[in-house]
Parts: sequence; C-alpha cells; structure tokens
Amino acid sequence: MATLSLDALSKTYPNGVTALHGVDLTIDDGELIVVVGPSGCGKSTLLRMLAGLESISSGELAIDGRRVNDLEPAERDIAMVFQNYALYPHMSVADNMGYALKNQGVPRAERRRKVEETARLIGLEDLLDRRPKQLSGGQRQRVAMGRAIVREPKVFLFDEPLSNLDAKLRVQMRIEIRRLQKRLGVTAVYVTHDQVEAMTLADRLVVMNGGHIEQVGTPMHLYDQPASRFVASFIGSPSMNFIEARHADGVLTLPCGTHLPLRDGASTESGDAVCLGVRPEHLVQVGQGDDTTLTTQVELVEPLGADTLAHVRLDGQAELLVARLNGAQQIAEGDRLYLRPDPERLHLFDPQEGHSLAAPETVS
Amino acid sequence: MRYRRPGLDAISHILLILALLAFSLPVWLAIIAATHDQSSLYTGTAPLWFGDQGLDNFRAILSEPVARLGTDVARLLFNSTVMALGIACGKIFIAILAAYAIVFFRFPLRRLCFWLIFITLMLPVEVRIMPTYKIAADLNLLNSYAGLILPLIASATATFLFRQFYMTVPPELLEAARVDGAGPWRFLRDILLPLSKTNIAALFVIMFLYGWNQYLWPLLITTESDYMTIVVSLKRMLSSADNLVPWQAVMATALLAMLPPVAVIVLMQRYFVKGLVDAEK
Repeated sequence: MATLSLDALSKTYPNGVTALHGVDLTIDDGELIVVVGPSGCGKSTLLRMLAGLESISSGELAIDGRRVNDLEPAERDIAMVFQNYALYPHMSVADNMGYALKNQGVPRAERRRKVEETARLIGLEDLLDRRPKQLSGGQRQRVAMGRAIVREPKVFLFDEPLSNLDAKLRVQMRIEIRRLQKRLGVTAVYVTHDQVEAMTLADRLVVMNGGHIEQVGTPMHLYDQPASRFVASFIGSPSMNFIEARHADGVLTLPCGTHLPLRDGASTESGDAVCLGVRPEHLVQVGQGDDTTLTTQVELVEPLGADTLAHVRLDGQAELLVARLNGAQQIAEGDRLYLRPDPERLHLFDPQEGHSLAAPETVS
Repeated sequence: MRYRRPGLDAISHILLILALLAFSLPVWLAIIAATHDQSSLYTGTAPLWFGDQGLDNFRAILSEPVARLGTDVARLLFNSTVMALGIACGKIFIAILAAYAIVFFRFPLRRLCFWLIFITLMLPVEVRIMPTYKIAADLNLLNSYAGLILPLIASATATFLFRQFYMTVPPELLEAARVDGAGPWRFLRDILLPLSKTNIAALFVIMFLYGWNQYLWPLLITTESDYMTIVVSLKRMLSSADNLVPWQAVMATALLAMLPPVAVIVLMQRYFVKGLVDAEK
C-alpha cells in the first residue's frame, strides 16, 4: 500500500525520440489507476518507468515519498503482471510464485505457507505442481497474478494483462482483478488500450496521447466532460460523433441546416467554426423532422440485442454518424431516420486544437 | 509423406540391414582380432571367429606398459578422458558466459566483440598451430593437461549456438526476473541455465567427441608418455620399423578407444536429439 507521485516524468531514448513529455500524476493509496491510450502513446513506457525496467530521463518518481528513480525494480517493492505472463517455463507454479520470496531470502517453510495462502485466494491450490505449459491461458494469467500478490508489494503494475485471453475470460478476469485489488487494498497501475476495460476497472482514468496526459479523472467524469476531442473519441463505445458547425448568436448551425441551441457559458464567439460532438446514445430518434433534428439515411445496421447501432449518413455529408437506438426498433438499411441530438449532452470542441469549449463551470 | 506398402517396407529393411552389415564388419573384425594371439593373425587369412585369447589381450594392455608407448592403455584412456571432458566442459562454460554477455548486456563495442569471436571460426588449431605452440611452450604448458585443454577451449561455434538460443528467450522473462529480485547471476543460474539444458547436453556430446578425436595438437604438445592420449598412441603402435605390428593389441586398444564416445552418445542421445531439433520453451 502506497502513494505514488510522478513529477514531470520524461523519457527520451538515446536515438532522440521522446516517448514521454513531462508526466505529472499523484496516485493515492489503494487506488486503481488505469492508463489508457492508443498504441505508441507512451503508456507502456510510463509503466515500465514505474517498474524500473526503463530508465527515467528526467523528473522525479517517488513511492511513499521516497525517491526511487535510481532503484532497481526489485528494490522498489513493486510487482508486475506482464502481457504474455512471463512465467518461468521450467518452474512449477509454486516455484514461479515463490521465486521473488526466494530471492528475498524468505525461509522455505514460510515461502510455502505464503504461496499456498495466495493460491487459495485465487483458486490455484490444485495446480501448484504443474508447469506453465500444462496450464490454460486463464490459469497462466492467474499464476502471473499470484506471483505478484504473494510478495505483498506496495504497488501492482499491470501491462495489458488480459489482451491474450478470449473475450469471455477477459470479462471474468477483469472482475476478478478488480475484486482482488479492492480486497488487498493495494495501489495499482493498469495499462490497457481497451477502453471498456479501462472504464470498468478504474478508480481514476488517465488518458494518454502522444506522450502527454490528455485528461485524468473518474471514468464517468471523462465520459461526461471530456477535456478534448481526443478523450471524447477515445472514451465511450461506439465513439462520439463529430460534426462541423458554425456558431451564430447562441445558435449552432450545422451544414445540413439543423439549428441547435448553444448552452450558456461556452467559450466561443459568434461567427466561430466549432466541432460539435454527440455520443451515439444521445441521438434520439423522433418521428417527424424539424429544424432541430438531423435528417439521415441508414447505411448499416448492427443489432446488439438490447441496442441497435445505426450507421447513418447525414444528408449532404460524406461522413457516417452512429446512433445507438433501442433494440426493439425495427430499422432497415435505406430507411429515413430523424435524430434529435440531446441538447443537454452536446460537446463543443475547438476545430483546430481539439480542446473542449464547454462552459468553465461544467468542467469541474 | 509415408507410404504404407509392405513391399517398400521389405526393400527398405533389406537395404538397412545391408548397410548395417557393411558398417559393422570392421568393428566385428576388430573384435575378432582382439581375441587372437599375434601368430594366428599372421597366417595370411583374416580370422572371422573368436580366437582363444578371450579377454587376455585387453587385460594385458590395460595393466602392463605397451611396447613402444611406455605406458599402459588405462593411463591413455584416463588422459583422453581428462582432455575430452576438459575441452567439452571448458568450451561450454566459456561459451555460456560469452553468449550471456553478448546477448543480455549493453556495453561499448559489443558487436565488435561478437564478430571477433565469430571470426575465430576461420582459425582452427591447424591454422594457428605455430603461434599456439610457441605460446604453450612459453607458458610451460608442454606435457600437461592444461596444455592439452586450454588452447582448444575457446569456441566460436558454441558461443554462437548459445547466442542464438538466448536471443529466442522472451525479454519479458528477464524483466520478470528483475522485478522478482534476481540479479544477473541469479538470472543465469535460475532461469537461463535450466532453459538451455538440452542445448548444453547436445553441445557436450559434440564437444566431447571433438576433444576425444583430437590428434594434431596432442601429438605436438605431448612428448612424455604420461600425458599421451589414446588416439595419438594408436597411431604410434602401428609405426613399427623392425617388429611385427601387434595387431591384437592395436585392435583391443582401438575398441577401448571407441567405448567412451559411444557411451557418451548412448547416454545423452535423448537430450542430444532434442537439443538439436527443438528448442523447448
């Protein structure tokens, strides 16, 4: 259990490529932080710097107030779960789990007791004598978790631990990781590119892009008040729809002629071009078109059961929009669809910079 | 592709049996000759069945000094074993460390080091025999086990093999070990060596045979019979200017010289094949 503080953490590789530009973050005791972002955004580099597997070019990293920049991974009292589990193939499950304790000089009897205790906790007690080769993917994942838990580290680090599992197992393990982390109360940093995983696991989410932190906050905060177009498009599935619009005297005019009322406090001047963001679930189907609706034509229908995703083309526009409609709705390709964006849930972004133009008071 | 045809099976079996006979005939003749006395080997026809000496010839060469050698064959076997084991173990030991350094450590001129080692592949003992002999003589290594072993111990082949194997070890394994608190030595001992068991076994077989069959270098560096190897001595037993060659003793010695390599191969065959065919990971 520990707090982590990252102060202007940067990583520049010897070849001059900068993977991380001054990351600041404070992680509270017992918190599960999920770092999410597209590949190449620096999230894995960040995690590896926390672990001590990658050197820190500049900035300060402290665990529980102690500077750990120059400590070896083992001295930082962290445990890491790797994407491909990185189990030692020639060792039994018990030996895999106990290896760190062995290196710490823990006596054999105590080692065995701790390993068995952990194995019971994660349901591995019958597999302790097996080799990794004889285990299924889910079981290997569990062993990798057990190896991290048994040491009782200050911080857990997860590097996309579920990406090698099939979809069903992934959901199951996700819940299990969350439950274990809460139960053990260990601070954890979890890296993933899967935004569903990120939303469901995180106490707080860190969205990264191009070596910068775009936004930090609870999953719902990021969903409701994305600070930038990038965060808005990354959080939520399917992605937010973006439409170019023009602001004139408190009214947004869309290229298709639709007029939408602008909420108070948006930092935009009359005459500015803006980028309007609407989530698929905030497009409401209405029976009749008027000047506050979007008139669209259905191009593709994805029935998901409870919901149906309609990929629709706005009249006169090239890009497709996605709308999440009630699954009971009968729609077919080629249908006309009138969609009204929920005026309370509109997001405005700067068309060039991409930062949010939302009213300051709503960005709490 | 395997064909299931009885006729084909029969033909291939016949061919195999013929080849087996052809290959085992010299060995058979050697065994036979080793059981005869000298006079019956000089009658003009080679005997094809056991003679009346039984194991007496073996007993004689193992316990009494052999003519023209000045030592008994037991001593020669011991010398050869020491040399072959020394070369095999030394090569493996050095190759493991060299490959470990080259693959897992970042240091200046790392690639240069690798290529320098690699280039020595082009310099077998025969090519560098004069300077090597000079060095061995200057270091007082003539007529010593160290002299027999050390000049043959550096091995680019083994280093290269271990390098190739180490490069297939997933980097996460090293990282996991680092997180688990294993330093470089622990990683080598606890993770890398157990994983390269089959490679080590395969190399041991190859290098033991290489060491056992060395001829030129031992011939050059040993002048005292106490340090002579069996392969070199075998040739010396044949070079007789005036006397008849004691073929029964030569054959018995040859058979004894065959035994250790055969034993090594038989005992380690399982690992040997595994090590060459698949890298178990």
